[in-house]
Amino acid sequence: MDELELLKKDWKKGENNFPKLSYNQIYKMILKKSSSIVKWIFIISILEFVFWVAISFLLKYTGFADDIGDIESNTAFILMSVISYIILAYFFYRFYMNYRTINTTDNATTLMENILKTRRTVKQYVGFNLIAMVVSVGVLLPYFMEQDPETQTIIEQATANGELLKFYAGIIIVTLLMLAVAIGLILLFYYLIYGILLKRLNKNYRELKKLEV
Amino acid sequence: MHKELEHSFVELLEKHQNIIHKVCRLYTYDYDAHNDLFQEITIQLWKAYPKFRGDSKFSTWMYRVGLNTAITLYRKSKRRISTQDFNDVQFKISAEEYDDTEEQQLKLLYNAVKQLNDIEKALVFLYLEDKNYKEISETMGISEVNARVKMNRVKNKLRTILNP
Repeated sequence: MDELELLKKDWKKGENNFPKLSYNQIYKMILKKSSSIVKWIFIISILEFVFWVAISFLLKYTGFADDIGDIESNTAFILMSVISYIILAYFFYRFYMNYRTINTTDNATTLMENILKTRRTVKQYVGFNLIAMVVSVGVLLPYFMEQDPETQTIIEQATANGELLKFYAGIIIVTLLMLAVAIGLILLFYYLIYGILLKRLNKNYRELKKLEV
Repeated sequence: MHKELEHSFVELLEKHQNIIHKVCRLYTYDYDAHNDLFQEITIQLWKAYPKFRGDSKFSTWMYRVGLNTAITLYRKSKRRISTQDFNDVQFKISAEEYDDTEEQQLKLLYNAVKQLNDIEKALVFLYLEDKNYKEISETMGISEVNARVKMNRVKNKLRTILNP
């Protein structure tokens, strides 16, 4: 006899062995809060948006802004801020629309695809921010060095001592190291999110898509 | 209105609760985990209930949400039967005076099913629930051909686990 047929025969018999939950027990359950991954994905995604907005505010309204002085009035800078808010709004809108399509009554593949799509939007936003971070450092650092009188003095001294190359090499190495640490931390955070939340989903999704043409 | 909705939902669920128990039976390994998954499936069903139009049977709708919760949404890490535990079971049985009763065969079969991955378990579950390949393919979101191929692979995998 086919193994599954034997199992099926027993499976039906086992129906009476389950505990019978009462009306009140079930009622109490529906009052409790869910701990599904969709809820966690929503919380983490919102935190990611908040994190990047907070970073841009911190940079703008703390000591760093004073250092770069009149850069606020720079048209290019204002334009960049406006663009970054438009991009934030665009990603947030896409994230929200994708999130709304997550429906537990869809078939398993569609449900998984919608969850992954929602995460992908946030991932793209983080990717955009990382690129923006690298580009801004590349653009702002030379600007800052040109504007800052203290830096100018150091540069002049270094030129007089014939150590200008060493000075620039130091600046570049320190900047690259700092960027690497920041990107490393973000990647670690991602590794953890995916490790904890999405590993099983990704595995199951791959399993479902196997053989599909 | 809300109270009425609650009442009709709880009543329906009380009647069909075995479907959830059966999903929990396949995907969990102890009493606590069973209850935990049962709770999460119930919450997901309740959250989706306002959108339940009644154009499909309540039980059919439950299969979908129940399986989706078990294989996609459920967050608690489940305790898997380790290979060691499984070997122990096999060892104990073969060490006893060999008795090929149906009961022992079933015990091994249930253990073998627990070793399948989440998707394979879902296929087995729907098969055990007498769902045809069309329904299986619709619930899982795969083609009917793929559902058949996968089911054949599951059967072969079970055979391999049972007769290593």
